[in-house]
Parts: sequence; structure tokens; C-alpha cells
Amino acid sequence: MTEAARRRPNDNQMNESDEILLARMLDGDEEAFAALYRRRQGPVYRFALHMTNSVAAAEDITQEVFLALLETGHRFDSSRGSLLSLLYGIARNHALRRIEKSWRMEPAAVIEDEPGVEDVLNDVMRRETVEQVRQAVVSLPPMYREAVVLCYLENLSYEEAAAVLECPVGTVRSRLSRGRVILAQKLIRHAVRAAYE
Amino acid sequence: MSDDSIRDLLRALAEADATAEASPEIEVQLRKKFRSRKRRRAWRGITLWALWAPLAAAAAIVLLFVFVNRKPATAPVNPVPSDTAAAPSLEQAVPPQPASPPTIMQMRKSGAARPPQPEEIVTDFFPLMDPAPPFERGKILRVELPASAMEMVGLPVHAEHLTDSVQADVLVGEEGLPRAIRFVKFERK
Repeated sequence: MTEAARRRPNDNQMNESDEILLARMLDGDEEAFAALYRRRQGPVYRFALHMTNSVAAAEDITQEVFLALLETGHRFDSSRGSLLSLLYGIARNHALRRIEKSWRMEPAAVIEDEPGVEDVLNDVMRRETVEQVRQAVVSLPPMYREAVVLCYLENLSYEEAAAVLECPVGTVRSRLSRGRVILAQKLIRHAVRAAYE
Repeated sequence: MSDDSIRDLLRALAEADATAEASPEIEVQLRKKFRSRKRRRAWRGITLWALWAPLAAAAAIVLLFVFVNRKPATAPVNPVPSDTAAAPSLEQAVPPQPASPPTIMQMRKSGAARPPQPEEIVTDFFPLMDPAPPFERGKILRVELPASAMEMVGLPVHAEHLTDSVQADVLVGEEGLPRAIRFVKFERK
């Protein structure tokens, strides 16, 4: 059996809800655990990756999230949110802990009016690569970063993001708005710097 | 830079990373931990069973011992019809009174702690139900009865004392039926 085939959940497991897989997992069914992991590790990993910008950290966090699910999965209450929201929430806690550990004081982003900004923006649109956007996202303050990652990169609704971030929907919206402004500023700066190099 | 531009750039990043996943080693490690945790839980269950089984056996032996020791008090000795106990009127303990002491052969001194004066002497319990249904728990009620009740359980009473009042303890089961009776006499030291 190839690695890809081994990793592919079977049809029954694909049809089962997260909650059923979780219940089976808590009963000691290893295949249910594996199916749940395969279904949800991608979003968890990508969230951690975008939050930390480190493959190693993202893998560690992914592992820690599913270990935490093993230990505390019995406390999951579907009336309080989806299982994916719970996983994002655990990942978020681990990611923020790592960010705090490696925190480097970064000057607060200041929005400035720069001359000829539209010209520069066009240039940014042409020059910027995905990698530069990634760097800009990672350099956002965590409170904006997590909102941007969840809503724009993981496509969660505002309500789902609010559940993960444990804040009102209005707060998510305002963080996203502020995050976009900071992102724009960072990308412009980068473009200006690149233009002079 | 417009909001739309920012969203477009973020969308491009999301698409670029859409297939990013943790490496297969993570799943392998998680499976190992899952199995080890499962074994640990199973072992914990066995350990708990090994600990509790002897304790449960000891508790059962103690209960059995208590049950066997209590059994003589409720076991039928000299069965009498259950209507014997239909009449008792429930009252609190009353002061000592003259009874027919010489005729009661099975009197014995009560071992229970009682007020020193006068001393209480009780008979064995006489069953009031035949056959007696299973008995688990009940209450002892102190009642006052005519001495003729003693005759009904086979105790001799002089004719002139048949209308005298005597004290008795009635053992009542939890279902409310009188199971057994014993008679009480007070004797001054």
C-alpha cells in the first residue's frame, strides 16, 4: 500500500461527522482518530504555519493540538461550536504561547501618507510575491494576524472566527480592518524599499 | 492600497498554501501516542480492579458477618399468626409497673445502655409472621399492650393479670408490618 493510499481515509470514515469520529476515537478506535486527524490536520497546520511562519513550529503545534484532543476530547460540547473551532482554539493558544516566547519588540505600525502612493501601489501589485505577503502577515501583531489568517486564509466566517478568538463578531471585523491597513502599509514599505535597491 | 488589493494578495497566499499539510511523521507519532495512551488506560483499569476486588470481598465478608449475627433477632422461633400484632397501640415508654415476673421464663437482662433506675429486662423476640418475608431493615417501637398479648405468643399469664398493661418492643419492617415482639419488664435494683 502506498503512503498516499494509507493516508487516505476510507469511504465510511469520510462520511462520518467529526462528532462521531471523536466519539469513536474516545472509545479507543485508532482508525477514527486517524480519520479525524487526516480530515482536520491541514487547516490546523496551515493556521499554525501562518501564525508562526515556521514549519517546525506548525508541525509541533499540530501534534500538540491532536494530543490535547485525545486528553480533553470528552469535554467537547457541540452546542458551543464545531470541532474545527475547538481545534483552531487549541492551536491558537499554542501559537500565541510560542509567539510570546520568541517575541521581539517591533515598532508599532504607523499609517503615514506617502507621496505618490498609488504609483507605488501599482508597483507593489506587480512586484510582490506570495512570499512577501506571507512575511507581511507574519509580521502583523498577533491579535490582527489571527483574525486575518482565520478569515482570509482559512476562509472562516466572522462568526466562526469570533468563536475561535472568543470575542464578539464586531471585534473580529475591526481587527480585520485594522489588519488590512497595517498589511497595506507593510507592503508599500517593502515596495518602496525594493524600488530603491 | 485598496482593500480589494489586499484581499487579492491574501487570496493568492491562501491558494499557494492550500495544500500545505503536516508531514506524515506527525501522524505516525500521534498513532504511537494513541496506542500507548490506550494501553496505559487499560492497565490503569486492571490496576484499579486489582485494588478494589479485595476491598469489595472484605466488605462482603463483613456484611455477611453482620447479617448472620443479626439473623437470630428476626428468625422465626415460635411462629404465631400475624394478626397477633394487629392491636398494638404505639406509645412512648411508660414508667415501670407490676407484671407477672415469675411466669416469664425467658426473661434476660438487657445489655443495652438504659437509665440506671429501674433496670429493664426483656424477653427474646417472638415472630409475628409465618412465613416471614425477607427482612432487611426496620424499627423497634415501644408500645403498651394488655398482658393477654403475652398469652398469644405462648407466655403464661395469671388470669388476674390478663388486663394489666405491659410494655413491649415491636419490630416493624420497612414495609410497615410487625415482624416480631418482645416483652419488657422493669425491675428496681
